[in-house]
Amino acid sequence: MEPSNPEDHVGSSTGENSNQMPISDDVKALLTDARTNNKSVCCERCDSVVLKAGDASLSQVEFFLPHMKKKTENQRPGDGETLREFWLVGDMCTFENVGFSNTVETTKYLTCADCEVGPIGWCDVRDRTKFYVAVDRVSHK
Amino acid sequence: MMEEDALLTTLKILIIGESSVGKSSLLLRFTDETFDPDLQPTIGVDFKVKTITIDNNRCKLAIWDTAGFERFRTLTPSYYRGAQGVILVYDISSRQSFERLGTWLAELDMFSSRANVVKMLVGNKNDREREREVERAAGVAFARKHSMLFIEASAKTRDGVQCAFEELVEKIVQTPGLWEATGERGVVVLGGATEPGWIQYCGGYCELI
Repeated sequence: MEPSNPEDHVGSSTGENSNQMPISDDVKALLTDARTNNKSVCCERCDSVVLKAGDASLSQVEFFLPHMKKKTENQRPGDGETLREFWLVGDMCTFENVGFSNTVETTKYLTCADCEVGPIGWCDVRDRTKFYVAVDRVSHK
Repeated sequence: MMEEDALLTTLKILIIGESSVGKSSLLLRFTDETFDPDLQPTIGVDFKVKTITIDNNRCKLAIWDTAGFERFRTLTPSYYRGAQGVILVYDISSRQSFERLGTWLAELDMFSSRANVVKMLVGNKNDREREREVERAAGVAFARKHSMLFIEASAKTRDGVQCAFEELVEKIVQTPGLWEATGERGVVVLGGATEPGWIQYCGGYCELI
């Protein structure tokens, strides 16, 4: 298995492999040799296809996303979790189907285009070459 | 890759009309089969990228909703720029929403960067037959007068929604000069403004490799 690189980009290889984080076996099973997604990335709730197989590369960055569902009655709107494994896409037109939320500070959250469940990922409006979909928040088919 | 997988084009589509005529629900119901009224997004969806297949051609649509801004002011010129298709929505149970259509068309004509934008008029909420205030014939007449496609639809029952989007895209694809495919492997360069800015990014110019 190739070492990980948080700056890895679709179709590019920087050759620098600092800040390596171990990849879980669950995630390894979703990767091609080129570290792209070996299956389609779909909405967990309605199966809408977000990305076709091979269209994204694995990126290990830390990012806080609000929860998708209310887990407890007293959960506050800002509650969430820090996620570390994302499918990275370099062009918004690579997506098959995706929704973009209104901008919150500099972040746009990604949702399912069909049922609008989310956030399933995020992008920063200052960098239009990086769109992240959380591996934990989608299904792979 | 299969023949039908070739990407024909990427199109920018706007949804405009008065508040609460059902623009956002229309966008949501475009393909959703599992609508859950309890699951409301808290932030609101700005726009969507959607892929549809029409006559074996795959088209990517960047669909923009006004996200409630129409309540406060006219939309910005950049919202309109580069659009190839516009869906103008009224509510068949609201005469007022129908009477404001002319104002929306005037704004579109003022800000649109293309002369031949394909327009579709959608009479929404046709599941509310008992509260109907706008006859279907009035919708047809308005659409004809302004060279628009016309459909009555219901986001609630999904009736006509898919059809509306598909018809609009078909018409855009058939309109010479509205889109232009160049190069190989579905590389598409759309004409018009290429100014920097989030809104122009997908609608005005988009390369797919």
